[in-house]
Amino acid sequence: MSTANPPALLDVEEGVAPLRAGQGHSFFLRRLHSLSGIIPVGAFLIEHFISNAFATRGPVAYAKQVELLSSFPFVVGLELFGIWLPILYHALYGFYIWYHGEGNVTEYPWAGNWMYNAQRWTGAIAFFYMVWHTWHLRFSGVHILTHPAAAFGKVQLEFQNPLALAFYTVGIFCASWHFAYGLWLFAAKWGITTGDAARRKFGYVCFAIGLLFILVGAATMYSFLNTPLQPLEPVSGTESFVMR
Amino acid sequence: MAAKKSVLFKIKRQANPKAEPRWEEFELPWHSGMNVISSLMEIAANPVTRAGRTTTPVTYDSNCLEEVCGSCAMLINGKARMACSALVDKLEQPIRLEPFSKFPVVRDLAVDRGVLFENLKAVKAWVPVDGSYDLGPGPRMTMEDQEAAYPLSRCISCCCCMEACPQFNEETNFVGAAAISQVRLFNTHPTGAALKRERLAALMGDGGIHECGYAQNCVEVCPKDIPLTRSIAEVGGAVMKQAIGDLFRK
Repeated sequence: MSTANPPALLDVEEGVAPLRAGQGHSFFLRRLHSLSGIIPVGAFLIEHFISNAFATRGPVAYAKQVELLSSFPFVVGLELFGIWLPILYHALYGFYIWYHGEGNVTEYPWAGNWMYNAQRWTGAIAFFYMVWHTWHLRFSGVHILTHPAAAFGKVQLEFQNPLALAFYTVGIFCASWHFAYGLWLFAAKWGITTGDAARRKFGYVCFAIGLLFILVGAATMYSFLNTPLQPLEPVSGTESFVMR
Repeated sequence: MAAKKSVLFKIKRQANPKAEPRWEEFELPWHSGMNVISSLMEIAANPVTRAGRTTTPVTYDSNCLEEVCGSCAMLINGKARMACSALVDKLEQPIRLEPFSKFPVVRDLAVDRGVLFENLKAVKAWVPVDGSYDLGPGPRMTMEDQEAAYPLSRCISCCCCMEACPQFNEETNFVGAAAISQVRLFNTHPTGAALKRERLAALMGDGGIHECGYAQNCVEVCPKDIPLTRSIAEVGGAVMKQAIGDLFRK
């Protein structure tokens, strides 16, 4: 027997829509997000940890490194297009991804699922830390691009506040974690580590990379804390700075 | 060990797609070898709730009863799995049965999993051999390819991988691990590879492979032990290669 209308029983809700084969721009945006985490954001993170590790060699070595970085041509352009905009894109699109996901670690409490959630939390914490950190060290107080010798003391001054010190610790930890697991995710999603054994081995490598970042960050913080407070005002005659 | 005297079930019921869901409790006498589907059959034979009220038999999908048809997938104590292979003795009681949360409910535990069929069509998950004349035997497949392909061919379209995926929802409309793995299967096939480029291009669309967040729940819940994360990595690499190649070719 045929009826004009389908039976009411089959009138189900919509549910998840099928794949829009080959349609839209989400593939480009999502892969750009993935890539931006490695280049340039990850690359900058490596540079930033290495440059700051010069603090372990004392205030003079640190000032020289800051001076080297600030002496790059088009330094603000490099900062804008190489650091700030990529981080902003990676962070904002990351929040968009988080908002669209539906975490279910309570129902499925497995390692990969925990890491999925941790990647979102560490990313968010690292981002808010970086906004605060950039505002404090780059855009307020002594301008360290024109006063490289004041950079060491500026960080030390920051560390006088225990809350700021705690935020630095958390920020370094989260950025290291997010970058290390991000590397692992990148290799898996872009088809570099396709095999289970390869993914497991690269997992150890990424764990070591994350640990290395945390250790370098800890050594750097230790140097700032265990050096006598440096003056913020440049001591006349010891510094060669040019107005930029 | 004292034998369990009875088995307690809490089942989420819904009379029709628009109805409000409600919970009903059932108590069955325990006997050895019970599984969730056999319990649902017993409830259907005598649909009386724990409180003694006569109710309708619980609607559910099932067919093979041996974990090869993929029909009886549901949430058992909150996790996506096959009801036929869910042994009562290994489950914490009361045993909670719910329909899949990300698929439209038809009635009780039966859901509409049509989206997987649509996705398989969208990625052309078939070997193109239809024609008006005999195409003859296809090319031979290497042993290595056969061994890689066989586990992928075990997919039973149960949709557990999709239900358990944090990225599979109405916001992302992610295609899910099953369809991606089928792309790998049919791209491995010597004749199926004729549609390789089209399949990879399809996966670049909205809801495609890039929506994967690699939480890896799919491979954990898969009742057929399909290497889904490996499929996602391999197809992900093939999609990227094609996407980068297209920048120069197109």
